Amino acid sequence: MTQKEQKSSGASPQESVLAIINSKAPFSSSHGKDALDVALIFASFEQKVSLFFQGDGVYQLMDKQDGSLLGMKDYLKTFSAFEFYDIEDIYVCQQSLVNRQLGEDFHIDNVQVLSSIEFGLALNRHQHVLRF
Amino acid sequence: MKTLAVVITTPPYSHLTITALTYVEAALVAGINVIGVFFYQDGVMHANEDISIASDEYQAIEHWQRLQKQYQLPLHICITAAEKRGIACDAIDNDKINKAFTVSGLGELVELTTKASRLVQF
Repeated sequence: MTQKEQKSSGASPQESVLAIINSKAPFSSSHGKDALDVALIFASFEQKVSLFFQGDGVYQLMDKQDGSLLGMKDYLKTFSAFEFYDIEDIYVCQQSLVNRQLGEDFHIDNVQVLSSIEFGLALNRHQHVLRF
Repeated sequence: MKTLAVVITTPPYSHLTITALTYVEAALVAGINVIGVFFYQDGVMHANEDISIASDEYQAIEHWQRLQKQYQLPLHICITAAEKRGIACDAIDNDKINKAFTVSGLGELVELTTKASRLVQF
């Protein structure tokens, strides 16, 4: 695995292995949690993974939410472990925030707000994309 | 050599599954090296031996079995997603899981993704 990773990163240093697009609101389905599990596994195998938030997915980043009020496990708390897992590339679609009249009050740091064009360009730097 | 990996997140009764199967079979017929199919989220239900779909409807599971047999196509299911959906994976005499499928974890998805030239999700 390590050898392979070195080989591929040597061939194209600009390209990350996987982009995960989060497009669903956090608490009505398990998509967000399922995407998080995939992200953490890739990171623990030392594969470079980036997270993209778009559409209702942007709600997963908003501050002052508490899933435990709904009696569920609040997986959003785990987002604070991204730094530990070396997940550094976190992008949110500005237009999706504007459409929902949301500000940039995120519950984690290092979130990059990108215009639609920048968002697309950032996605394009990844070899593979999964959408949840 | 170009390699393809496929991720299925849709259940056997979803119409998207038909598209997925058509796609995978077309790739295999074209001689593309499909290194594996990974079933995640509701996709794991394809491995549920107890699922029965009306005989005049599309039999997704039968088609996966056929492709697995004909092309030795590896079909991996995510154990966590499967157990969450009542497909017990740790039983010794496991008759809940369709034999065409292999019980794997998300680590297998990492493996497939890093090996594949292209990853396609349905």
